[in-house]
Amino acid sequence: MNMRIDKQTGEWLEREKQVNFTYEGKKFTAYEGDTITSALWASGEKVLGRSFKYHRPRGVLSLANHDINVMLTDGQDTNIRGDVVTVKDGMTLVAVNTLGGVKKDNLRYIGKLLSPFLVVGFYYKAFFRPRFMFPFWENIIRHGAGLGKVNFNYPRIPKPKLNEHYDVLVIGAGPAGLSAALAASLDKQLNILIVDENKQAGGSLGYDRAGSISPQSQLDELVSEVNKATNITLRTNAYAGAYYTDHLIPIIEFDGITKVRAKTLIIATGAFEQPPVFRNNDLPGVMNGSAAQRMIYRYGVKPFNNGVVFTANDHGYRVALDLIHAGTVVKAVVDLRNEPVSNALTKELTNHAVQIYSGHCVYEALATSDDMAVKGVVICPFDEDTNEADADRSFTIDCDGVAMSAGWASAAALLYQSGMKVKYDYTIEQFIPEALPNGIFAAGKVNGVFDLEQRIADGARAAAEAMRYMGMDNAPTISVQAHTASSPSHFFPVVPHPKGKNFVDFDEDIQAKDFINAAKEGFDNIELMKRFTTVGMGPSQGKHSNMNAIRILARIRELPVEKIGSTTSRPFFHPTPIGHLGGRNFHPVRQSAIQGWHADAGAVFVDVGAWSRPAYYQKPGVAVEEIIQQESVAVHNSVGIIDGSSLGKIEICGPQAVEFLERFFTGKFADQKVGEIRYALSIDESAVVADDGIISRVKDELYYLTIGTSNAAIVYREMQRWLQMWQLDVALVNVTGSYGIINVVGPKSVHVMSSLSQDPLLSTLTAGMVGEMTISDVAVRIMRVTFVSDIGYELHVPADSMLAVWEKLIKAGSAYDIRPFGTDTQRLLRLEMGHYLPGYDTDGLTIPYELGCDSELAMDKPFFVGQRSLKILAKKTLRKRLVPFVLEDGFSGQMPEDCNLVIDNGEIEGRVTSISYSSKVDRIIGFAYVNPKKIEAGSRFEIKTDNGSMVKATVVKTPFLNSKKES
Amino acid sequence: MSSMMKSTPVAYFQKKLNPKWGEVNGTQVAMSFDTVEVEEDRKKKLGVTDVSFRQRFGVKGPQANQWLAAQKIKTPDSINSWVIDNGVLVLRLGSSEFLVEQQVSGEVCQQLNQAVQTNPVGVYKVLRADAAFVISGDGIPAMFSELCKLDLSQKALKPNQVIMTQIADISATIAPEIINDRLVIRLWCDGTYGAYMWRVLHQLAQEQGGGAVGLTNCFSND
Repeated sequence: MNMRIDKQTGEWLEREKQVNFTYEGKKFTAYEGDTITSALWASGEKVLGRSFKYHRPRGVLSLANHDINVMLTDGQDTNIRGDVVTVKDGMTLVAVNTLGGVKKDNLRYIGKLLSPFLVVGFYYKAFFRPRFMFPFWENIIRHGAGLGKVNFNYPRIPKPKLNEHYDVLVIGAGPAGLSAALAASLDKQLNILIVDENKQAGGSLGYDRAGSISPQSQLDELVSEVNKATNITLRTNAYAGAYYTDHLIPIIEFDGITKVRAKTLIIATGAFEQPPVFRNNDLPGVMNGSAAQRMIYRYGVKPFNNGVVFTANDHGYRVALDLIHAGTVVKAVVDLRNEPVSNALTKELTNHAVQIYSGHCVYEALATSDDMAVKGVVICPFDEDTNEADADRSFTIDCDGVAMSAGWASAAALLYQSGMKVKYDYTIEQFIPEALPNGIFAAGKVNGVFDLEQRIADGARAAAEAMRYMGMDNAPTISVQAHTASSPSHFFPVVPHPKGKNFVDFDEDIQAKDFINAAKEGFDNIELMKRFTTVGMGPSQGKHSNMNAIRILARIRELPVEKIGSTTSRPFFHPTPIGHLGGRNFHPVRQSAIQGWHADAGAVFVDVGAWSRPAYYQKPGVAVEEIIQQESVAVHNSVGIIDGSSLGKIEICGPQAVEFLERFFTGKFADQKVGEIRYALSIDESAVVADDGIISRVKDELYYLTIGTSNAAIVYREMQRWLQMWQLDVALVNVTGSYGIINVVGPKSVHVMSSLSQDPLLSTLTAGMVGEMTISDVAVRIMRVTFVSDIGYELHVPADSMLAVWEKLIKAGSAYDIRPFGTDTQRLLRLEMGHYLPGYDTDGLTIPYELGCDSELAMDKPFFVGQRSLKILAKKTLRKRLVPFVLEDGFSGQMPEDCNLVIDNGEIEGRVTSISYSSKVDRIIGFAYVNPKKIEAGSRFEIKTDNGSMVKATVVKTPFLNSKKES
Repeated sequence: MSSMMKSTPVAYFQKKLNPKWGEVNGTQVAMSFDTVEVEEDRKKKLGVTDVSFRQRFGVKGPQANQWLAAQKIKTPDSINSWVIDNGVLVLRLGSSEFLVEQQVSGEVCQQLNQAVQTNPVGVYKVLRADAAFVISGDGIPAMFSELCKLDLSQKALKPNQVIMTQIADISATIAPEIINDRLVIRLWCDGTYGAYMWRVLHQLAQEQGGGAVGLTNCFSND
């Protein structure tokens, strides 16, 4: 059946362009500009989807971006919203969430047969007993739940996240928003952005016409003025998704998100029409009055041929006139209100011979034999004061559609998120702003102003207030008249019916009785009721259901609506694709100055904190484990070289530098001589280990700290924080990126170094010392450290000379088969040396006593960060200690892994923190936390592996190299 | 001064663009990536040039300003601003920290390095190893709209302003400048992020029809 009508003034179609598509395997033709829904409805297709829970057939509800029962899949794209997404040529659409197609959905029997058992909360009470059956039910529920199927092969399409700045951001390009933008634009210094989620500006001015052309003419004038204003940017198809502090609003468009920061916000987001609740109010053909109006004027489609308007406000009369304009035979206007209405609208309807039934309700909509459309409505007298329908006096009117107008809920999500205080206005039966945060202004329906001329005035008022907020004291004072007409919303548009199926929430198939049941269960607070019934938790986020839910709960609890309140509005108020949130996906990575050399040498990189570091260097045909052993053997037997540039490097300068170190670290530095290096342990105020490193005294007033890669930024930040508090005469210079570090280690490292430089420092520099020298005119700091080998040099080289020095060392070391090694080998080597690694062998709760590093705690100092906590902890019983261990000689069972548990008599005593096979030691070695009673060498404990087997381990002394073939 | 060739943090990652290399300040520098015409066109749209090779000297401390003045270096009067004098750009990065960058060849940075060796009171050298870029072209607003949260429109900028902020999610310093009525942005970041920053800038520039510009053409019309 063709429901297309003649071209409408202001319609959104390009009728000269046709598009062809399929829906559920059937071919359709539409005009360019049609949404999927309007295209299908124009062709007489009424079943556009299935409901989430009962799989009831559904058609149009709002045509306003929250018809979540009309979601479709087109190839790789799913959950396409049919009511707003424009149909494209070649689309092959199918409805989501069906089994066997939208018409013959086999899951419809859930609604027909099982619905009595599927009351709200049923899943909280069922399926968990008997326990062995849970996987069975879980499988069924997982297959049955959800809407479109997630496509894990969806291509990555980068969506940029942009930043823009404006003086005024107007959200909503309806009459109030357009008026606000125009009023603000009179000050040409202001830069104004106005956004609207719809394809075209205008809001209800474009479709709420009551059969007249004048609203469209008024809209054309407003838009024309906006387009002429050089300081207004109008952006459509763009919705404001959230409010964040400092007036940050993400504007979501098809291609990505723009994060707009504005000095002032004018929220003119309008209101969502709320459906009245009556039996079968979800049948295809039953739709909101504003949906019918949109269908007529935006898409040139007649909603139905013979219709009934069920209203509880004056808007329904306007809808009836629009339906008549579209060629619908309006068989009746059924008004829920007791008092008959008499005004120009009723007079005009009477002229069209439309029967008006005041004090009546649509008791139920009657379905066709296939349940897929409306065949009529049952009407009966209704007392709005007692909320009673007199079904005994009911009568039936044949029709194929119902337009519903019962009221509105303000689209105030952004205002709620901004911290607005609300009040309930009984003259319009709506929550409205009582107090708004600084710089935020509301206008139009969201502000409780419904009369068209007053909405336009309210926009100008909001703009004037925004301008005054920005310091423009000469902005005009504009008054807006209070609402005097009948309330645009009914206080309780809910028609009880003993057989139910009177839906409140179409997302989740929640009926009126579900709220009563929830309250009986004790969930009678709006937040609890939301969670128990799931009202407002579907994709439309309660846009069409929350207000009715609040009214029902108020009625159940016999409280005024304002005492019920509303649920918390959280960003994003409208579903936003993950790809949009991800944006382009910047992944900052720090790289050494010689990263290219590593790549050319076959390095396999691993992320370490913010850095990308070589884990090892590939050798064709050699397994990773073998490469790591080879690299470590090179260090043990000859010489290895590693790029340690990622270590944090901080210079502490100034006359009070030593005082700062004494306070910040646990050890002593007051007697440290120039040229010496010392171990430094940093703990936080609660005595948790932060990191460790070494401090070199380079000059009298210059100390140089090197610290672990992952924690360097945190430690530096903490140093800055403490320095701010202590106000010492100290300067901190973070030179992490300015110096590269080259470690040349192993017995032959001495020869490599001396072949490069004849500096006498080399022969005098012993372990624990630091000095400065030059290599080919490059000034470097050189240290003797024993982290991965007893013999080694650590060169700190200016980053721009790093490559040149590295290549010199490689060349000089070639005579000794120098071998570069990566972090995997480094971890093995330090393990063999018996050094624990903060961040690896510690966690966010580890205290120094658990590491057994009591000697590093200078408790006799007057103060250091964390000292007080240490004193308290020292009096408590230690629960675990880190110990070095080996597995049995020749162990060949299931290899324990990091984090495997240490178990004693079925109780967890600790965990493995590091474990590896060492070819040098010829044993599996590691660190683990164990019971403090088992820390003596020779103590034994058991590790539970991933496959459940228990592996015996023995505590040894470090370095592990001394453990070879012991125990 | 070192006898060994230095490298910028970006050089290795520019190799795949097959630039013509040259040497400036003892550093290997990409002099051009394409013909003059192509690079001029990129500059108009969105051109990115690596100027990490420039000599820099960093200093901080309560006496840093006075010390620089004693070294005859002109410093900005206000914090977070820059001044250029005789080919020497000085950024004031706060009340007591400065970055000196030699725009053309000269000895200023070496002289400052020498002078600071005397350990003047209240003056602390900050070893710099920046990745530094010059970005030009009509695409700058669009590029920085994505990379930076701050308002970099000409209306919002103060003259000679230095902005320390997050660019592409890392800490960076930028100094916008109007040269020949066109917005040019100088950008510095930690050298260890240099390759990352180059990759981001180059990708965005390419998306707008621009791309890499070698040193030879970077300032050809300035």
